[in-house]
Amino acid sequence: MAGLNLNDDAPMDVIPEEPVKPPAAIEKLIEEAKATLIAQENGEKRSLSMVVVGHVDAGKSTMMGRLLYELGRMDEKKRVANERGSAKVGKSSFSWAWELDGTQEERERGITMDIALQTLNTPHRVITILDAPGHRDFIPNMISGASQADSALLVVDAAVGEFEAGFERGGQTREHLLLVRSLGVTQVIVAVNKLDQVEWSKSRYDEICNLLKPFLAQSGFHPTKTQFVPVAAMEGINLSQPPPAASPLHSWYKGPTLVDLLDALEPPTRDINAPLRFPISNVFKGATSGIAVSGRVCGGIIVPGERLRIVPGDESAVVKAIDSDGDSLPWAGAGSNVNVTLTGVDPISLNVGSVLCREGQTVPLVSSFTAKIIVFDIQIPITAGTSVELFHHSRDVPASISRLISVLDRSNGSVIKNKPRVLTKNMSAEVEVSLRSSTYSGPASRALPIPLEPFSVNKEMGRILIRRGGETIGAGVVLELLT
Amino acid sequence: MKLINKHIEKDGSGHVTVCPEDDEDMWHLYNLIQEGDRVRAPAIRRIQNVSTTGTVDSRRIRLHLTLAVARVTWSPSAAPGADSGAANGAAGAAPAASATVEVSGRVAEENQHVKLGAFHTLDIEANKNVRIEKDAGGWDSVALARVEESCVPGRGAEVAAIVCGEGTAIFCLLSEHMTVVLQRLEVPVPRKISNQSSAHEKGLARFYQNLYTSFLRHVPYSSPSLRAIVIASPGWVRDAVFDFIMAEASRTSNKALLTARNKFIKVHVNSPHVHSLVEALKSPEIASQMKETKFAREGLMLDKFFKMLASDEMRAWYGPDHVALAADRGAIGTLLISDELFRSSDAATRKKFVGIVEDVKQKGGEVLIFSSMHESGQQLNQLTGIAAILTFPLDVEVVEAEEREAREEEERRKAEEGEAVEAS
Repeated sequence: MAGLNLNDDAPMDVIPEEPVKPPAAIEKLIEEAKATLIAQENGEKRSLSMVVVGHVDAGKSTMMGRLLYELGRMDEKKRVANERGSAKVGKSSFSWAWELDGTQEERERGITMDIALQTLNTPHRVITILDAPGHRDFIPNMISGASQADSALLVVDAAVGEFEAGFERGGQTREHLLLVRSLGVTQVIVAVNKLDQVEWSKSRYDEICNLLKPFLAQSGFHPTKTQFVPVAAMEGINLSQPPPAASPLHSWYKGPTLVDLLDALEPPTRDINAPLRFPISNVFKGATSGIAVSGRVCGGIIVPGERLRIVPGDESAVVKAIDSDGDSLPWAGAGSNVNVTLTGVDPISLNVGSVLCREGQTVPLVSSFTAKIIVFDIQIPITAGTSVELFHHSRDVPASISRLISVLDRSNGSVIKNKPRVLTKNMSAEVEVSLRSSTYSGPASRALPIPLEPFSVNKEMGRILIRRGGETIGAGVVLELLT
Repeated sequence: MKLINKHIEKDGSGHVTVCPEDDEDMWHLYNLIQEGDRVRAPAIRRIQNVSTTGTVDSRRIRLHLTLAVARVTWSPSAAPGADSGAANGAAGAAPAASATVEVSGRVAEENQHVKLGAFHTLDIEANKNVRIEKDAGGWDSVALARVEESCVPGRGAEVAAIVCGEGTAIFCLLSEHMTVVLQRLEVPVPRKISNQSSAHEKGLARFYQNLYTSFLRHVPYSSPSLRAIVIASPGWVRDAVFDFIMAEASRTSNKALLTARNKFIKVHVNSPHVHSLVEALKSPEIASQMKETKFAREGLMLDKFFKMLASDEMRAWYGPDHVALAADRGAIGTLLISDELFRSSDAATRKKFVGIVEDVKQKGGEVLIFSSMHESGQQLNQLTGIAAILTFPLDVEVVEAEEREAREEEERRKAEEGEAVEAS
């Protein structure tokens, strides 16, 4: 018994592995942070995050590059370097996008493949920009970005045929809007880009607005929280400065510029009293030492010096530093997008999709759960046993819709039919989702569980997306965890 | 598999002797042997003799045993979730039979060493004869078709597939009835960070290098039976992977790999998970090349079923009860059924499904028995394991109502008959 350490009266002289900050000090810091946050809410500069979405080649990265330049985040030297570099490989039209499309492959192909993170300073807001890829193959990356955002900027291409390509079935304008809405984004700014290519035609602008407005309303965006703005990103018209008198836009558009709209975005309320949840969206080598992870705090507050659990797994790590956009922070509360430097951990135990939690308040792990979902505009109906990919924050895992529990009324949520045979488009339903093990060794092998929480406990941790064959077929919220 | 001997009576009883050769044959045996059958195969058993003086003498002897089967278990070759570094056969050589089928039960034929009724577990060995004896009705058309199919020489066209995404790759080997996941490779690739560091590129380079080593270890690219090497991925990873493999091959002047160049097929899929295999296999590039292989046909047919479900829900039915109703009405054009259903330990259940299969065949319908060792079979299993494409639309609810009425009618008639008997 003694050898197995099973007797209860064994001397309990546990030596702490390393000097962890006493909880009292952390408590104090948390109190302080809360006070600052409240002060900030009433103050001037408030922070929020925004994902930039839209069909491929709508000009998302270019617009962001141009904005960074106009708001002084990118200096002249860099602009010239990008201009030269892109001209050299014969892609001068991508010169603005090069600021965000940093990897070699993105530049060669002239396409954004992964989320780029940047910060914009407007007079009253500090906006974390997540520039999402528009190509349909990279929607997983786009979802990872959109799940970290409070608001969205939709960029549409006004050129004849281009807008239609993005807006029709299978176009990303439609899918992206549904995705960001399903991930809890309620505010959207629609930038109608490349209007210079249609001679600044007001009728074209109105046509696009009139096509988008009903779709936005139908997708669940409140009309008061959707704004439209005509721009030309490449020329930099109506981004931060109102259109010059010489521009044809000046004659018919007197509204706010894009930056004016960004400046008026409403930051959501933050729940910093909730247990800490930090889903990891990227793991990389720290600037100085240790290993850094980035992501968004989805509840609670994170402070340096604390030892945090990494779920799933048995590992824990000490937070060494928190930084955002190069500035080190004393703490980070819910809703902020930060990089966290960790020490005392083997990088192998840190994966994209893992969640950092405080010991004792760890996030539950599940391999099957029930969810209330809304089925999108799909061709092939969902049957019991449909193989899908389940998206939750930056993680995607194979799963299956194991049981169709009931069809619900979309307006009041009452049960219309129990045990339906199939789910067809635009239905609302309650289903059971089970993760699939990816081997063929029979039913005995169990899928690895993922961290998940019911929507009623933590909104951001309880949202899921369901995709099949490169198409998003549904979105929903977790109702109950099963196993 | 070699067919050594076959003797089947009219009533479906009799025995078949076969000699399994590779993993796939083991899978066939697993599907053939059922609870209650008698299996005769070579075994090793420890024999204990207590001599008159009380000394115990124990030795192992090789003998043939006949078992009354109580349980059959199957374990596929590559351990599930085998992580990187699992060595499994040398490149170029097809891996030896490593899947195992275990048959346990009581000894049914006594011999000088083993008593009747003693328990034994047989490990079915490759290249050793196995005799399977079934009772009346045991050798039904499905079982016989499987014996026939498994003994056709010269099948064994294989396809290697690599399903990859940025930082992940899954190596699979597909044969007629099986998909074996050889390795799952995961290399952490840091995602792009705004301050243009090269961490992403470095991670990718490491990933390609690891992928190449695993490729050499697992994919028997020079084997003539390997028909194609499929590289499937979303985005442009497959191009990069293919270019890297070819560049490395020419750098190390790997002649065998360079000559296999035209075996490579690059396919676009939507996700880097194993279940994308179905998507890869039904892509036009592959479907045109291997139309006649079982897995391609299965994938196409499953796809057709789902499309039918979308366009005309009344012509796509699934679930054992519903399909049985459709079969009664002679409506089934194509029956999709998983081999899992025939593996039922309950003879009556198996008989029911065999009945449906025979019925459909007799009426000129097409029957596809899916292998649950393939992704398509797995997906069919999730969909209750049985589905049918009907030749004419039938409404499930109407049919169910009809059935209910028929049953009520029956009951009423019985009740009336009962009354009539009482009255007389």
